[in-house]
Amino acid sequence: MTTAPVATAPETPPKGIRRIRVPQKLRNLELFLLLFVCGVNALSVVLVQLGALGVADFTVVTIGAGLAVLVLGLHVALRIVATNADPFILPIAALLNGLGIAMIYRIDIAENLTGWESTALRQVVWSGIAIALAIAVILVIRNHRVLQRYTYIAMLVAAVLLLLPMLPVIGQEIYGARVWIHIGAFSFQPGEVAKIALAVFFAGYLVSRRDSLSMVGRKVLGMRFPRARDLGPILVLWALSMAIIIFQRDLGTALLYFGLFVVMIYVATGRASWVVLGVGLFLVGAVIAGQVLVYVNDRFTNWLDAFNPEHYDAVGGSYQLVQGLFGLANGGLIGTGLGRGRPDITPLAQSDYIFASLGEELGLAGVFAVLALYLLFISRGFRISFAGQDDFGRLLGVGLSFTVALQCFIVIGGVTRVIPLTGLTTPFMAAGGSSLVANWIIVALLLRLSDTVRNQPRLVI
Amino acid sequence: MSELTLLILQLAFLALLWVFIFIVVYAMRSDLFGQRVRKLKEPATAGAPAAAAAGQTAPTGQAAPTPAAAAQAGPPAPSAPAPKVPTFIPAPGTELSGPPRATLANASRLVITSGAKSGSEIPLGSEPLTIGRSSDSSVVIRDDYTSTHHARLMIWGDEWVVQDLDSTNGTFLDGVRVTTPTHVPLNTPIRIGATSFELRR
Repeated sequence: MTTAPVATAPETPPKGIRRIRVPQKLRNLELFLLLFVCGVNALSVVLVQLGALGVADFTVVTIGAGLAVLVLGLHVALRIVATNADPFILPIAALLNGLGIAMIYRIDIAENLTGWESTALRQVVWSGIAIALAIAVILVIRNHRVLQRYTYIAMLVAAVLLLLPMLPVIGQEIYGARVWIHIGAFSFQPGEVAKIALAVFFAGYLVSRRDSLSMVGRKVLGMRFPRARDLGPILVLWALSMAIIIFQRDLGTALLYFGLFVVMIYVATGRASWVVLGVGLFLVGAVIAGQVLVYVNDRFTNWLDAFNPEHYDAVGGSYQLVQGLFGLANGGLIGTGLGRGRPDITPLAQSDYIFASLGEELGLAGVFAVLALYLLFISRGFRISFAGQDDFGRLLGVGLSFTVALQCFIVIGGVTRVIPLTGLTTPFMAAGGSSLVANWIIVALLLRLSDTVRNQPRLVI
Repeated sequence: MSELTLLILQLAFLALLWVFIFIVVYAMRSDLFGQRVRKLKEPATAGAPAAAAAGQTAPTGQAAPTPAAAAQAGPPAPSAPAPKVPTFIPAPGTELSGPPRATLANASRLVITSGAKSGSEIPLGSEPLTIGRSSDSSVVIRDDYTSTHHARLMIWGDEWVVQDLDSTNGTFLDGVRVTTPTHVPLNTPIRIGATSFELRR
């Protein structure tokens, strides 16, 4: 499959057999886009410095150049082991990551953090680790179908990762949510990596069980609903996400896992009744949780009545949400300019609220550019799955790209007050190592899938 | 740095972001709009462009060119592209004599025997091939008679099997329309639109 003889253009076909070796068009396009992205990222850092400090300091840009070298390393790895991989995914991810680092660096300047205190430096190091891991994944996993063998091991891995933060010594509670583990100076959010293991498990499981989940059932109101005994998996997942809400106190992660499962079962069976069931179950659970659990109830009131001074001034109230909205409003159409707004007023401006920070300094035009980048990334993921040949690969591709989509929706919807705010990370941008590692592994897996799928025809007639 | 310079730099930066997005969208345009339809060199009269335009946008199953256009621009084949003939049922696998079935072991290449690219060949691997006008097919045939996802060559056991993916104008194995997945004998023409190909050693 690596030899791709394509007979090209001539209008009158000469008789006889022609084999023409094509240049790596996809990879050259990727290289061009990557160089463009590196330029944009360097410019964003320089603009931050000019805006916030008034002078350009190129030592910071040199640190970023290290990352550029790693990304180009990934590109070279693709040239060797995944020639036909999608050329857009890597540049888009690199651009989002770079914009995130520039924004985090800007918040650091405002808060006067330097050296290892600086979140941006840690973010650069984590990006490096994440990209190195992505290279390793591309080199080690030469065929995505290998993953299907580890369906149940993936389930076990996901379960262990989810339970880790509940352990007494290494588990750590931050802002009420118990989703971190803490070893030495490192803290890590294992749930981020668990979503990949869960996607692998769901894909493998649904490929083998899709028939019994889609064929039988009773028809109610023109929609075929599954039998009661086939409801097992979805009920287990529902119980799991409810447990996350109750014990780890993390709404966003629960919504992410459950949404992932519902979408994958919908894609596997093609029956809308699963979506109806899933959304219904989750709404019931969320409403009950809102009545019983204080912290969930707070989230709801902060969302519905954010501008009420009572909630605004309360501890754990809507102060952060409203400050984010003020920031977005201050940005206007083209933003205050990088380094020239006040995004640091919002608590957690570099992680949960990075979208509001970007909105303030880049304005509506910049925010929509970022959303368009996510849209392109996710559409490439769906496209790869759509063109896939084997069911496991298709499901895995849909699951992986949908986690990114759902995560964007949950966190950006929360920041812009479309849905209640829950703490999740904005993929590729928000400060946080575990999220970066997970998302770069998703990038590597999508690249691997797209290489197997082969986006390019072998022969065009 | 004056305010004005910073403002201009900011605008330039936003413009660069959008330029990147448009470069990406432009580069993936063939995914969005499909492959361009190849104009056949034979009499391109008034009917043909209309059929081409209709075929370009319509998805599988709706791309039936009008009979007039098909008659004007169609290849001089015995069974010219026609609407589905439900009464015609071939008997797959009945040929007792004739060439042996193509297997992974004895078929190594796919050779185009007639059509615009006749003479070209691609090596057969151990993976299925998809044929159609969409750019995600392994073999893209860009003429008016090919559906978006037209047909595929699969491997059953270790034998090559051709399956028609509910195409508008049909897939013909040795002149017989394929309705069910059918074993492909070696050196036997499979015709899709104006293109024929064979599996060879």
